Amino acid sequence: MTTMVQVQDLTKTYPDLSEGTRVAVDRISFSVAAGEVFGVLGPNGAGKTTTLRMLSTILRPTSGQIIINQANIDTEAHLIRKSIGFVSNNTALYDRMSARELVEYFGRMHDMERDELREKIEILFKKLCMEDIGNVPCGQMSTGMKQKVSIARALIHDPPVLIFDEASVGLDVMVARALLYTISGLRDEGKCIIFSTHIMREVEKLCDRVAMMHRGRILDIGTLEELADKHQQNDFEDLFFSLLTRHDQQKNLLGDQVDMQPLKPTSVTRRPSAGAATV
Amino acid sequence: MNMKWSRVWLIYAREMRDQIRDRRTMFTIFVLPLLLYPFMGMLMLQVAQFNSEHPIGVTWIGQENWPQENPLLVDSDANRKTNDLIRWNYLATSELKIDAQAEAEALVREGRADLVLITKPGFRDWLSQSTMVVNEETRQTTDAGLTATASPFESKSNSESNSKSNSESNSESNSELNSISIASISSTPATHPSGPPPLLTVVNQASDSSVVAMKRVGHLLEGWRSAWLREQLAEANLNPSIVDVINVERVDIAPPETKQALVWSKILPLIMLVWALTGAFYPAIDLCAGEKERGTLETLLCSPASRTEIVWGKLLTVICFSISTAVLNLFSMQFTSTFVINQFASAGATDVVQALGPLPFSSLTWLIVILLPISAMFSALALAVAALARSSKEAQYYLMPLLLGGLPLVMLPMLPGVSLGTGTATIPVTGAVLLSRALIEGHYTEAFLFAPIVIGVTVMCCLLAIRWAVRQFENESVLFRESERFEFRAWIQNLFQHRTPTATANEAMLCGTIILVALFFGRMSLASNELSWTSMTQSTIVIQIGMILAPCLVMATILTSSIWKALRLGRPRFADMLFCFGLGISLHPAYMLLSSAIQTEFQLGADTKEVLGYIDAMISAAPLWSVVLTLAVIPAICEELAFRGFIFAGLSQEQGTLRAIIVSALFFGLSHGVLQQTIGATIMGLILGVVAWRTGGVLGCIVLHMTHNTLTMVVARAGKQADLIPSGLDWAFERTLEGGLAYTNTWTILSMAIASLILGALVFNKPTSARYFWAKDRIVATES
Repeated sequence: MTTMVQVQDLTKTYPDLSEGTRVAVDRISFSVAAGEVFGVLGPNGAGKTTTLRMLSTILRPTSGQIIINQANIDTEAHLIRKSIGFVSNNTALYDRMSARELVEYFGRMHDMERDELREKIEILFKKLCMEDIGNVPCGQMSTGMKQKVSIARALIHDPPVLIFDEASVGLDVMVARALLYTISGLRDEGKCIIFSTHIMREVEKLCDRVAMMHRGRILDIGTLEELADKHQQNDFEDLFFSLLTRHDQQKNLLGDQVDMQPLKPTSVTRRPSAGAATV
Repeated sequence: MNMKWSRVWLIYAREMRDQIRDRRTMFTIFVLPLLLYPFMGMLMLQVAQFNSEHPIGVTWIGQENWPQENPLLVDSDANRKTNDLIRWNYLATSELKIDAQAEAEALVREGRADLVLITKPGFRDWLSQSTMVVNEETRQTTDAGLTATASPFESKSNSESNSKSNSESNSESNSELNSISIASISSTPATHPSGPPPLLTVVNQASDSSVVAMKRVGHLLEGWRSAWLREQLAEANLNPSIVDVINVERVDIAPPETKQALVWSKILPLIMLVWALTGAFYPAIDLCAGEKERGTLETLLCSPASRTEIVWGKLLTVICFSISTAVLNLFSMQFTSTFVINQFASAGATDVVQALGPLPFSSLTWLIVILLPISAMFSALALAVAALARSSKEAQYYLMPLLLGGLPLVMLPMLPGVSLGTGTATIPVTGAVLLSRALIEGHYTEAFLFAPIVIGVTVMCCLLAIRWAVRQFENESVLFRESERFEFRAWIQNLFQHRTPTATANEAMLCGTIILVALFFGRMSLASNELSWTSMTQSTIVIQIGMILAPCLVMATILTSSIWKALRLGRPRFADMLFCFGLGISLHPAYMLLSSAIQTEFQLGADTKEVLGYIDAMISAAPLWSVVLTLAVIPAICEELAFRGFIFAGLSQEQGTLRAIIVSALFFGLSHGVLQQTIGATIMGLILGVVAWRTGGVLGCIVLHMTHNTLTMVVARAGKQADLIPSGLDWAFERTLEGGLAYTNTWTILSMAIASLILGALVFNKPTSARYFWAKDRIVATES
């Protein structure tokens, strides 16, 4: 399968009044192929959102390389923006615009023709079961409806790469489940999907491969089966916590030295086993 | 990536639609102006009904001492009107249990009277005796005067003696005219051995009604004095009308329209600019901080629109609202004022109609033309400032200083004597206000003469503000700033643990601010020192070393890991030093020319001129070596280490060379106390910044600065001491009309060409690598 996203030694630091420099993302590397759902799992503050913001060109990396759909982020950020759809955790809609107006606005931002856009909106709204909320102002919608509009906005220009940043946060069980179905369907259409979450059950149900992040580093990466075999843990939640605990203990024992060496080499070259997870 | 205007238009259209759908914005921007002026008019009419003159209470102690035959109230319309507004209360001196003055003070303090008038015993008697004396003396003088008038062809000496005697009699008469004195209890009672006992008025000047009472009673007393004098003069067979010796009649040639335009020209620009700023505020807050709050900014930033396109789309929206708010306010004001004035005219209130007149429509047109660039500038500033905030609430905190900072520029043209000129035209906002005033008043020649300067300055400020706004949107530490808890201890620890060779940009800015604040307080406290060369030397050393060098030295020692790099004390190339020396000499004539132009445009007040003149004289009298050391060598070292050393290094490291040059020049300019010096020093600071950048260190700047200051001192001294300039240099100098020394035009032009060549060589030559005295490592001068 075609590799759509390649990340190499990606680092992001912020100036900090107390610490001088705070490392939010520390030399992470991974790649994601088309038709794959790549999960980024980690507790709050692990660096997931910073990583996804860098992938979506909102933040500039301090160092490292990002290549999305063969475009380099340093020189061709505008091409990357055309190749991605970004769904954030706070739905981020304009309250005084209707769903149709909002999706149309972002479609036109991607230089889509009016006729093509209208046609695409009808198809998309039908697919996401949004026909009846097309003219409702976003401010009057429920959270679930808003998330649908947000997905429609991200899909309107048919991007090959979709980035979901904790998209299920705040959704009720039904809507969250519907969201996972939608993402699964998009994978089946051949989209490359990066899905960050701190809910392990979502990873188990949806992701083909997963990167476990903690304190800005990827602790391990692979399919669920590979990780279970490697760490001799059948329960994913136990596996995750044991990795986190081991990392923190090593860090306490060795100080910052642990950060100089990854616990395990990252699986950048490992081929994904697409469709491993089912919903 | 090139900017796509179709995308800018798309963002603009969405933002406009979004704002128009917001009821609060629509009310503030569109509905409020339409209702405000009718409502204000209604309120003012209501207030005007209450704004009638209220009577005040006056207690008169010792009325029995006033001459019964001359009552205080002189019969006239004005006096009767004044008297109607006074509630009199009388207390006889015999009724008092305590001293009259103590009683009066108690009455006023307790609010039982707004004013107490005390007539002391003996006043009436003195007046009657004085009347007789006056009559006798004036009769004699009149006889003498009549004699003089009867012989107009008398000798000069006679005529002189007559005029002398007339003048003496007049002076005596004047002394009699002033014989009735009114003393306030706060003043030292005057001793009048031959005068009447003073009338005492006890008032409380902290009370408005007491002040009004003082004016009304004063008016009655003045009327009485005038009437009494007329009576005395008449009795002495003199012309009573000499009391009104100065009777001014005014002939006003200004047509009513011009006077009306003058009134409106002061009100309208102020209203327009305040509303343009207010109109930019709220949309800017919603479009930046509001968008951050809602989380929509993220989705916009990862859309194909570039940051510049986003800023332009938002900026156009804010400009539209700013202009709309100002224009609607002006039209609403025009409509309301025209209506009210028409109503006044039909009611016969001609004085109001003549004073104000309807708001001329042409004025509105001119104002709208001026409004366009001003609104653009305000909008870009508001957008850039609002981008700093995380929430709408925080944005309001940031925008208030912008309003407060802008108001003095709007108010400056209101000061008497401030008019449109080359100097004032270069001040942002102020120039635009003065230009609009000139246009409203119909001074078209003056307006069109300075319009290019005003428009140029405004457009430049506008472009700078837009650039700042774009930079804010490109700065992720601004866009995604998170609230961080500030821990002082951790911060201090961090300062020591993570020290860098040069200061950070924040530390550089802090250093500049500390220097300016220290200079403000230092200069204010040293200003009271005695004006002598010794005290001036001491003050200069304290200011230069204590207030300019010390802050940057202390900060460089504490906050950086290398004092040499922090102060940019690199070992320079010999050629660079020669260049800087040559630049110091060749730039001096151009600077003198600039300085003279600045002095013509921004003229100092008489007091400041006098002090500067005194200082000049003091410097001229001091030994030259001492002057050069104090005013050339020490300032050059201290100021360059601070501004082109510590501040420049900190700024260039993080924010780029251009910003380092501009900001260090601004700090350098502001560190000079007098406005004229500030402008000149800022321009010089820009050149010094370029030199600091290209030579990679501060020593070249010190050489340039020192050469420049030394030349200034020597040329000023040579004006009075001709032998200071060698005779071989006659071609470069000439005597001015004032007796000073100036450069010849030939040398000025030639030196400017040389300076341009040297600067060009510095800028286009390969940048110098700085080698530090203590180490072998090299850093490239162009840090960023």
